Amino acid sequence: MAGLELLSDQGYRLDGRKATELRKVQARMGVFAQADGSAYLEQGNTKALAVVYGPHEIRGARSRALHDRAIINCQYSMATFSTAERKRRPHGDRKSTEMSLHLKQTFEAAVLTQLYPRSQIDIYVKILQSDGGNYSVCVNAATLAVIDAGIPMRDYVCACTVGFVDETSLADLCYAEESGGVSSLALALLPRGGQIALVQMDARLHQDHLDTLIEAAMTACKGVSKVLDQVVRQHLQEGSTLRE
Amino acid sequence: MIKTERILHLRRFRGRKVRVVREHYLRERVPCFSSLCQADCANGVKVLPGDLTHYVMPDADVVVDYLEILELKELQGIIFTQTACQALHSKGRRFYNRLRSLVKDPRFHCVQFANEFQQYSFCPREKGESQEKWQTRCVYSAAVWYYNHLAGMMNVVMITEDEEAVAQYSSLHSGVYVVTVQDYLQNFWPDLQAAQELYASISQALEEREAEDSQREFPEHLPAEVMEAGIKSGRYIQGTLSVNKHRAQSEALVQTEGSSSQAMDLSSGVLVHGGKNRNRAVHGDVVVVELLPRSEWRGRATLLTEGQGDDRSPDDGQEKPMPTVKPIPVEKSADMQRCTAEKCGHDQGRVVGVLQRNWRDYVVTFPSRDASQSQSRSCQRVLTVPWDRRIPKIRISTQQAEALQDHRVVVRLDSWESTSLYPNGHSVKVLGRAGELETEVQTILVENCIHVPPFSEAQMKEMPLSSPEKPWRVDPAEVARRRDLRDSHLVFSIDPLGCEDVDDTLSVRSLAGGTLLELGVHIADVTHFVPEGSLTDLEARTRATTYYLADRRYDMLPAVLSADLCSLLGGVDRYAMSVLWELDAGSLAVRRVWFGRTVIRSSYQLHYELAQALLNGEEVRVPELERFCPEEKDLKLAQLIQALEMLTRVSRHLRLQRDRGGALELEGVEVRAQLDKDKNITALVPRQPLEVHETVAECMIYANHWVARKIQESFPNRALLRRHPPPRLELFSQLVDTAKAMGFSVDTRTNKALADSLDRAVDPQDPMVNRLLRMMATRAMSQALYFSTGSQPQDQYYHYGLALDRYTHFTSPIRRYADMVVHRLLTAALELEQGAGPAGILATNRELEELAQHINNKNWTAQRAQSASTGLFQCLFFRDRDPQTDLRCVADAIIYAIRDNGVLVFVPEYGIKGPVYLRNKEGQVVSAEAGGSCKWQGGKVRRYPSYITTTTAGGCSATFRLMSHITVRISVRSSSCHSDTLVLEVISNQPHRGSGPPASQGHRQLVQEVVRLAESAQQTAAPTHKLSRQERDFLQSRTPNLYSILEEIRELALMDLDALSQASEQTVLTVPDPLP
Repeated sequence: MAGLELLSDQGYRLDGRKATELRKVQARMGVFAQADGSAYLEQGNTKALAVVYGPHEIRGARSRALHDRAIINCQYSMATFSTAERKRRPHGDRKSTEMSLHLKQTFEAAVLTQLYPRSQIDIYVKILQSDGGNYSVCVNAATLAVIDAGIPMRDYVCACTVGFVDETSLADLCYAEESGGVSSLALALLPRGGQIALVQMDARLHQDHLDTLIEAAMTACKGVSKVLDQVVRQHLQEGSTLRE
Repeated sequence: MIKTERILHLRRFRGRKVRVVREHYLRERVPCFSSLCQADCANGVKVLPGDLTHYVMPDADVVVDYLEILELKELQGIIFTQTACQALHSKGRRFYNRLRSLVKDPRFHCVQFANEFQQYSFCPREKGESQEKWQTRCVYSAAVWYYNHLAGMMNVVMITEDEEAVAQYSSLHSGVYVVTVQDYLQNFWPDLQAAQELYASISQALEEREAEDSQREFPEHLPAEVMEAGIKSGRYIQGTLSVNKHRAQSEALVQTEGSSSQAMDLSSGVLVHGGKNRNRAVHGDVVVVELLPRSEWRGRATLLTEGQGDDRSPDDGQEKPMPTVKPIPVEKSADMQRCTAEKCGHDQGRVVGVLQRNWRDYVVTFPSRDASQSQSRSCQRVLTVPWDRRIPKIRISTQQAEALQDHRVVVRLDSWESTSLYPNGHSVKVLGRAGELETEVQTILVENCIHVPPFSEAQMKEMPLSSPEKPWRVDPAEVARRRDLRDSHLVFSIDPLGCEDVDDTLSVRSLAGGTLLELGVHIADVTHFVPEGSLTDLEARTRATTYYLADRRYDMLPAVLSADLCSLLGGVDRYAMSVLWELDAGSLAVRRVWFGRTVIRSSYQLHYELAQALLNGEEVRVPELERFCPEEKDLKLAQLIQALEMLTRVSRHLRLQRDRGGALELEGVEVRAQLDKDKNITALVPRQPLEVHETVAECMIYANHWVARKIQESFPNRALLRRHPPPRLELFSQLVDTAKAMGFSVDTRTNKALADSLDRAVDPQDPMVNRLLRMMATRAMSQALYFSTGSQPQDQYYHYGLALDRYTHFTSPIRRYADMVVHRLLTAALELEQGAGPAGILATNRELEELAQHINNKNWTAQRAQSASTGLFQCLFFRDRDPQTDLRCVADAIIYAIRDNGVLVFVPEYGIKGPVYLRNKEGQVVSAEAGGSCKWQGGKVRRYPSYITTTTAGGCSATFRLMSHITVRISVRSSSCHSDTLVLEVISNQPHRGSGPPASQGHRQLVQEVVRLAESAQQTAAPTHKLSRQERDFLQSRTPNLYSILEEIRELALMDLDALSQASEQTVLTVPDPLP
């Protein structure tokens, strides 16, 4: 049984990164004119498109409205061509419902919803190509889209997955690593205050290692936030130069 | 970093092809691990030296096929590319791990270079390019990069098996050479014969493999995924295959993971019957088995389960009546099923796949010419017979078959295709002609995976200097850090006579006006000289223990340490690790314990007999006191005797304490090794039991116990302790039955009950009875084990034999690696106590547990090798004697177990255990005549619980009772391929009346006589070139060993001249002609 060697003796991972290095992150904001806010983000080979509508009046049942804050509606989906094998993905399957719920929780923690009572904010995220870390890529893309929509937030929400192999934590797992038996943890962070918006972990991990793992995840998230910040600033600069 | 993408086509498990895209990041700075590096690469500790003529970079297929050659220590400056490593990884985990450990080991000059992550050395695979071509191109571009990176200061040689590549690349670059493996070895290493031979044998094996015919002999193994899924779903069972030594052809047992921890568990596991069902698995492999339906189960030979003494001679199956093979009926009720399952013991199954091959080096014997006639197809392929009976015959392709007839050769297995009845292998090293002493000893070493090369120059350089002209002295700065006991304490050592590695000393004195006693145990501070991670440390860790064979030993540490700097000799200053107890003078309760590093000067180097004589008040000469004037001498002597008496008193008290807890006293070599006091071959000799032996042993046990407590309290999860699990009660059945037959009752429920009942079981007429019973109790015990405290619950720490809740090994760091680990742990614990964090990083629980496993394994191999070498010497001793005429071949023996067709006996004079048959193959039985002499006649044998009778057709009968003495004749059954075995034959049912030499001398004499014979044989035969080369290779501690010289001088002094000349005459006469 020749399993993959996730971390070589010299400290290289499968794709040539070191343990703490992130994948290459590229992003663009304002890719669609129709929506209120949109963003496209690539993290390595995982690519996601996020679109934000709102805040607007509650659509559908009025009873859902909250009198003191906005509700956030999230929807996550994957393109049929996003994985190595084409696969029809019906709406509302268990996996994407769960992911939608996680996104919703994350953004309820970050968006200043009390500014918009009795209204609704829609966040739609689609994975165009999947290569590991889907949740974190979605969060990062949606953050940019929310910012693009001009909705006030406490801070950027940055997410990253980390894994634990051979007593070392690996930042930003790719698909091969995720499926190679690493116990992975996804964490969404509000980097400035260091508040954790969401932690998710399904695998088994010894309690002693949890702290180091979360520490590594927070460092990785802060790295992501730097890139996102740069993207936002550049986008604003472009916008302002155009207007002049 | 630059991001690129790599497109792979992977084949999924169901056979579909999938296109996978993976990212691939390149960077400019990848460490080159060369000391010539100009660009400040982040090289670690291990770098390639700059003073070589060239670096060599093997191609992927060279690494895959010829890794063994690259493993030779002589080849230096090897750069393994990542490309090649991955190719090896896809061949198998095992090979890859071998390479990894090679790269990690600082003793080998090779490094791994991540060429595919280097921006300039990486080349993407082109469309339509085959994998092999691409790998070659990658390696070549890495070689070019290396040459340029080192600014042309070092030539790089790339070796490949691809002729096209040689033609294509060889003239492209001036400093980068591309050659084939053969050319490389011939041009660069013309002197390295071993590499060239290895190359020839591997390449021949490879060629043969390609030209294999396709007739299927075995079913194919299942793919790994199917096996894994099957194991998870419970359809298949995973386990380690162990072949029955006595029925290697037909029976093998697969021990499942759970039961492997209790290796003695006989009733679990799956039986694999026959070669077809075994499906190419070899002893030791981790296999996957499928249970067979009950209708296909084959019966087991019933005799076997009864007669499973581990000292049966392997051939006795043929001499027994043919085993009755009964098909087991299909069961009806669950009750019945359980009943039969218990009777037959095992489920039966067949091997469907091998998860992990655990092939090691095997010793085989090439058949002599007339035996190999049957190999008519091609004379180049020879079927060789392994020394280990559990291994199938191995097919070797060689052109030297003629020259290697009757030689023992080390081989490695390459493959076992489903089309072949036998596995393929290639030869690695020739050991020598079968039957010669050197060959046989080397065979034992190889078969037990003991590898003891001489200490390398680099290792010796680490050692401090000490020569007779300029002896080593303690460093004042170091002394200041230690507690100085040189003037305050009377320190002495008690060891066997002539011992040169003294690792423990004792001290005792009274404090506070006699109300307190201070007992001290001072152990050589080996870890001061051997820092963790140094080359010497690594070598010691690999060896794990000093190996004692019957005629030689292989040291764990270089002699400068073991015999000089770490040896606590008399009258010189030495560093030590000490444990000091303050005891209440009256009640002997412990008041205070102090651990720490000290400087000591041993005043007396006593030996056991001398110490006992002093205690008994006899008038003896103490060599250390000779130089004093009489009054001073008396004073000192009185001090010493007082100390000895105090020590005896304390140790009696300690012993009593442990006895109350249930400590066992057992006979036999195994248990004596636990007593921490045997350092020498003399340990094999049944020695005169003196009280002082026990005194010293007790102090050592006490020190071990307290150190164990200390380190366990400081490091609850990562301390190295030693536990002795309680034995399984079923295994005592033989002991209980035997004792019952003798009229004793043995209670085996607890260790206390066992110890008490063994003490009671004494036959006043025959002291051997008690000894044999204790020996049988020992054999039923489980083995004591090292373990890391984090991996066992605390109630498992118990040491059954010594009746202590915690125990470890602390007192012999010179000859056991475990003690060195414990010393380091103790040092760390003391540093922790003083508030300073531990100096080095301590091993984690997992690392420590791995280390403990390794040490356990090495200890077992050491024991096996020791007993194998003892057996070898016994055989060699009796081989040259005519059993009919030589008096020494007749000896007294005691019956200790009864079997269906014979008895098992113990020969105290030579320490031999073995079966004696009362019925032979022709169905004749032994009958006794008046006066006790026995002869063979037709008749019957009947077995009773405590005796066995033979009745001849003529009506004569003879009875053999348990524990009665008989006379046996010892002869040798020689075997060309395996080890020789001793055959015991009853010649009288009366005790032997010959006044042979006392038991203690028999064994010693035996070893020395055999060694002398072998030496003189070598001298007279003018040793061939080959032999002398082997001597250089292997003989580490042969003649230059001070110990053996001392021993010889002592022997000479004991012998009178007449006997000596007689003996030498005899030697010359009996020298076997070494030429064929």
